[in-house]
Formats: sequence, C-alpha cells, structure tokens
Amino acid sequence: MEEKLRAVLVIGGGIAGIQAALDLGDMGIKVHLVEKKPSIGGRMAQLDKTFPTNDCSICILAPKLADCFRHSNITLHTLSEVKEVTGQMGDFSVKLHKYARFVNEEKCVNCGECAAKCPVKVPDEFDMGLRKREVIYPYYLQGVPAVMTIDRENCLYLTRGVCRICEKFCTREAIDFEQKDTDVMLNVGAIIAATGFDPYDPSGIPQYGYKRYRNVILSLECERLMCASGPTGGHLLRPSDNKPAEKIAFVQCVGSRDFKNNRYCSSVCCMHATKEAMLAYEHDHKVKSCIFYMDLRAAGKGFQEYVARGEQEYNISYIRGRVAKITEDHDENPIVWYEETQSSKTNKMTADLAVLATSLMPRKDVKELAKVLGVELDEYNFFKTDPLNPLDTTRPGIFVCGCCREPTDIPESVAQASGAAERAAETVMR
Amino acid sequence: MEEIKTFKDLTREVVEKGICGKCGGCLSFCSAGELNALEMDKNDQPRYINEDKCLKCGICYLICPQTDTLNMELHEKFGWKPPIGDYQRITSAQTTDKEVKKICTDGGVVTSLLLYLLDRNLINGALVSKKTGRFARKAIIARKPEELIEAAGSTFSESLHLEELGGKYTTYTPILSTVKSLEKKYLRDIAVVGTPCQINAIRKMQCLGVLPAHLIKYTIGLFCIENFSFDDIARERLEKKLDVNLEDVVKLNIKDDFIITLTKGVTIHVPLEEVHEVARPACFACHDFSNEYADISVGGLGSPDGYTTTLIRTKVGATVYDEALRKGYIQERTFEDAEESRLEKTKMLAKIVSFSRRKKMRAKERLSELAGGEAIGGKA
Repeated sequence: MEEKLRAVLVIGGGIAGIQAALDLGDMGIKVHLVEKKPSIGGRMAQLDKTFPTNDCSICILAPKLADCFRHSNITLHTLSEVKEVTGQMGDFSVKLHKYARFVNEEKCVNCGECAAKCPVKVPDEFDMGLRKREVIYPYYLQGVPAVMTIDRENCLYLTRGVCRICEKFCTREAIDFEQKDTDVMLNVGAIIAATGFDPYDPSGIPQYGYKRYRNVILSLECERLMCASGPTGGHLLRPSDNKPAEKIAFVQCVGSRDFKNNRYCSSVCCMHATKEAMLAYEHDHKVKSCIFYMDLRAAGKGFQEYVARGEQEYNISYIRGRVAKITEDHDENPIVWYEETQSSKTNKMTADLAVLATSLMPRKDVKELAKVLGVELDEYNFFKTDPLNPLDTTRPGIFVCGCCREPTDIPESVAQASGAAERAAETVMR
Repeated sequence: MEEIKTFKDLTREVVEKGICGKCGGCLSFCSAGELNALEMDKNDQPRYINEDKCLKCGICYLICPQTDTLNMELHEKFGWKPPIGDYQRITSAQTTDKEVKKICTDGGVVTSLLLYLLDRNLINGALVSKKTGRFARKAIIARKPEELIEAAGSTFSESLHLEELGGKYTTYTPILSTVKSLEKKYLRDIAVVGTPCQINAIRKMQCLGVLPAHLIKYTIGLFCIENFSFDDIARERLEKKLDVNLEDVVKLNIKDDFIITLTKGVTIHVPLEEVHEVARPACFACHDFSNEYADISVGGLGSPDGYTTTLIRTKVGATVYDEALRKGYIQERTFEDAEESRLEKTKMLAKIVSFSRRKKMRAKERLSELAGGEAIGGKA
C-alpha cells in the first residue's frame, strides 16, 4: 500500500510536465506522465529557438524527452486522457482512457515506409497546417516515443474499410488494426496539471485579416517556417509566393490586453517577437523587422539586454503604437495601419509579411479537465491559485505549473514545474 | 466487414461493360501512390500491368465516376440539388485579353480564369489538354501564362470547344494520369480543367483525401454531352455520312447541335443524333452534363458567339470568378436592362437543364439496358 501511493500523475507532456516528471522520478517517486498527443514535447517542440539565449529548442528539449522515456520511475501514457478522478489527497483513483495507436509500439522502428505509402494527405497539426502529412505519421520528427501513429479520423480503413496499404508495406508487422481503446486505473497520491496553452484565434479580430490575407500569419506559424524541420526547411518564405520575407511587421498584443478579448498580458510575446525578428535577420541580413507594441515587457533575466541587442545588432525597430488594421496591396503585401503614440500621428507601413503575436489561452478543453479534477478555474479559465500558494489548485493534492496556470515562458515554466514536483513529493512522501 | 471491392470488380462492373470513361482516376491514384499495378492499354482503358502488385486496397473502385459508393457523400458535401446541382449564379462572360480573344473560339473564360490564378500566384500550375498532332492530344501542365496562352492558341482553345461538346478532337485525354507526376515537381496548388467524369473522380478522391487530388485546389468543369473517339473507322464513317473531309475541319463545337467549321469558312450544323455513333459508348452511361461538382462550370451552350456560359457553383469558384472580374481578366455580357438580363439567364439555364435531363435520361436507359432491364450502379 505504502509503495503504491508513492506515485504522482502528471497531466501534460510539454516542458513543464516533463520537468515535473523528471524531478519526481529522480526523487524515487513513480510518475505517470499523461499526454493527449501521440508524442510528448508539447509547444516547446514546435519552437525553432528559445529566448533569451537563442538555443535550438529541440536540441535542449530532446535529451529531456529521452530521459523521460528511459526513466525507470516514469511511465509514459501517450494518446491518453484523464477521464475520472476520485478519492483525496494522498489517495486518488484515476481513470485514464488510452486511445489505440493502431501501431504496435514494441515492433515499430519508425522507419517511415508506411508513411511513404499512405495515400491520404491531411493538414499537419504540428506544422500549424502549413504542410500536409499522411494518416500514418510521426507526430513530429524527434517525437518520443519514436513510433508511428494512425490518425483514426482520416484513416480509410478505420473510417471506410478500404486501403490497409501501410499494413502491407510494414516489414515489422507493427500495424495493428485490432488494437482497441482501453481504460487504465491508476492510484496516485498527488496530481500535477501542466496542460499548456492554445494560441488565440485571430479571426476574432477581422481587421487584421488573418486567413483572408495569405501573408498575415501567427507567430507559431512563423516559428515553424523558420525551423529547419518545418514545412519550408527553415526558410522564411511568405505563403503567397514562396519568396523570402525581407520586411516583417510584428503585431503585438493580438487578443491580449484587449477588453474585447483577453484582458491579461500574455507575457511571452514581446520576447518571442524579438527572438523571431533576430532569427529572421540571422537567416538573411537583408531582413528589416518592425515590432509594433503597446508596452515592451522585458521583465525577465537578461530580457532587457536581449531587446537592446535586437535594436542594435539585428535591424529591429520598436514602434510604440497599437495596430488598428491590416490591409493588403496588389502584390499581397500586408499594409499595417497604426498610430505612432509619440507624435500622435496615424501612419502606415507596407511589409512583406505580418506576424501576429496571438495571446496564450488555456487549452480549449480545460473546462472538462477542471471538472474531472474538481478544481476551480479563474475568470480566464486558467487554473485558480492563491498568491501565497502559487502552485496549489483549489483542491488539496492537485498542483499546477506552466501555461495552464498563466502565460509563462520556458525558464519560468521549468522553475514552476520543479516547484510543483516538490509540492507533490511532499504530499506523497508524507 | 464486407469484402473490399477491388480493381477486379472495377474491371467487371465498369471496363468490361464499356462504361469506362477513361478519366484516368484509378491509374492516377495507383501510380501516384507508387503502387504501379495499373496501366492504360492502347485504347486508354485501365488494366493490370501486374496483378501481383495490386494491394487490393479498393480505392480505385471507390473513386471511379461510374461507381456509386461515394455518390451520396458527394451530394451532401456539395449540396447537390436537382436538376443541375448546386450553383450560386449563372453568367455569360468573355475574356478581356486581346491575345486570348483572337485565338479562343468561345469566350475564352477558362483561359482567362487560369491566367488570373497563375498571375496572382494562387496556383503554380494548370492542368489542361493540348493538341500535339491532328489526332493526338496530351495533358500538360501550364506553369507560366505564356504556356497557357500558347496552349490556348494552338490547341487549348480548340480543346475547350471539343471538351465542351465533351469532345477531344480525337482520343480523349486521360488527364488524371498526368497528375501523378506533379508532386515530384514540387507543385503546391494546381487548377484542373476537365470533363464531368474527370471532375467527378477528382471530387471522389478529395472525399477520401487521397493523393494526387490533394494538390488540386480549383476545378473548372466543361459542359459535356459526350466525347468522340475518332479512330480510323469512325472517321471514315462520319466523313461518309456528313460528306466532309475531316482534314478540313478547323473547329468542332456543340451548342444546340453539332457544329463543324471547315477551312473554307463553311459551317455545317448536324443534329446530335447523327453523330452518336462516333461518341464514346461510356458517355451514354454518364449522368452529368453541366459538370455538377466543379467550382465553376463553363460551356458555349446558351451564350452568343464570343461568350462563355458560366455557372459559378462553389464558394471557391465564386471568389475566383469575382476576383478575376474585379481585376479585369474577364467581363460579363451586358444587357439592356434587368429584365433582359433575367430573361437571357433564364434561357441559358433552361438550355442547360434540358441538356442535363437528356443526358440523365439517356444514362438511365443505357444502364438499365446493360443490366438487362434492372437498374444498376451509378444512380443519378
């Protein structure tokens, strides 16, 4: 009994959940790391570089993914969702729903033969829909576990009873259409929620023209375009004509600090935009970036220096003024209309590409999870916490870290994760 | 689970019955997926190259325009309604490009829409068919406006006409089998101009999400009553019957009847019934005259010379048409007043409906004949 309860459930396999799981595992505590997607890695895996050091994101993340996978105290549950939680601090019963992968994880060696033959093409979620993928696919190249997954929504065999081509080409006989979803019961002493964020959908601000103008993109889309493993092989090519973007307008606070949308500050976007502008310049010294901001919030370790470097060395102009609207000219160049607050004059700027810094919002299904966990959310649907117990939710024994708590950058998420791990450890080791 | 229907069933139910439209859909899928079990024989009918290579995936069966498994799904997806499918608007339009106007035989709307799409970078290629000899046609991908105009000039405009009558001057171009080679050339988005059976196969492929149809972003459909196979025997018969030398033909068209323009500038009108014997038998089993699933359907029927009757069907089609109009690639026929406009449009529509009914009726009869009196596959 004692042994059994020295276990913690971590919900969310992004950088926060991974860090919490590793810390707990290293303390000798059993961890069940649950991830809804086919692989762990989360949003950080989608980033090209991280601020303020411009480290390659996947390069610093991948060792942690591998550690999680190999750790004797960590059990990974990918393609899984938490459906039910009963009991109390120190003794929770958790029902996990594990979706069938239709690929045998033991047999699959991720060779990709099946994907090369799969005839169905659907938009790739990891690449923000900028590329098409097959229906049997690796969630992303460095994903862990490194196995293929069949997307049940689009598989022609699972939806219409035809095809089975992948099965015929798999020399490892890893394809298993007989796999069924299963429910797994776990017994844990504490729970950590680390479910991360979804970007705000800017079609709620039609004057910015997202989806209407091809050269208006999201910052996460920009990130994928700049990433070497992304849809353009790391070239920042604008969507309309695949030509290199040389003048880039970064529009800040899209959906953030906005009374019609989210009133809160998303906290990472000022730095995120600076980073993307720097990377664009590193890729191509002809690039000129303008960042349109309300207040430049560089309140982190090394952040103010990072912004100064951007201005001095990376050809970035910071323009204080909220963008009123975006239009486009005959060549599909976005035109950014704004008010310069210093002179109170309205002005416009034509760019090759406009990048919207959309706000970080709780995951779309966070309300259901909160209900399952029996915890309260705040007015924006982030997990409710208390200033002096910032990692405790409203239910004893359930802790929280990362972007599902509030918009948080990577160093802060990692720090919170270690804190939440420690809080959980206290509970189960008592 | 039911047994999966495979190419064997397709051969039995479609090819051997003589209702294969030679659209090339099955082959394009099989080759694009590098499964390579199929080929076109010398009559452009699909057959096994190597039966052992067939994985019996059953996809070729589903995407064939002559099978009906996906028909209901297509109907729903496109909001199909009788008698000619869904559409937003009908117009009569023509190109504004002098060069296109000079060489095209109808309104040149297709060429101009494609030029617009290429100019605006909305596609990086258009799949059209080009005449390569007096009696040979080939599907090509025009990637530059010049290539498109060149195709329009020498052959493409004719092809429009011929396809509009459903015809290819000679053999039908299995356009879809060309799509298979597209992806390797890094094409992202393409537009396809095709007959109803070709567009039907593309739409079925898109229903399943299978390659190579994922590259196809825009479909421009041609009105089609039937295609003609001008093999030597048929040509001889037709020449004898109409008392013309087909070598002298400069233009074929179908509007209300079969229109042959000869080099001497002589135009002969022939009732459609008289040319049925050279029509491809498959066309008699086809229900679709007005290209019911295309983004935009076009043809000469109902418009005065120099204009193209244009049915704008989908939202995608409407955006392309409206933008091409706004940017001056095409212009619409002007009418005296709203009353005349309404009257003319009603007339155009009535003609399309009448041809559609005729084709549907004919298909129904043909299919029931083939089934020995019982109704079979390919519901209207």
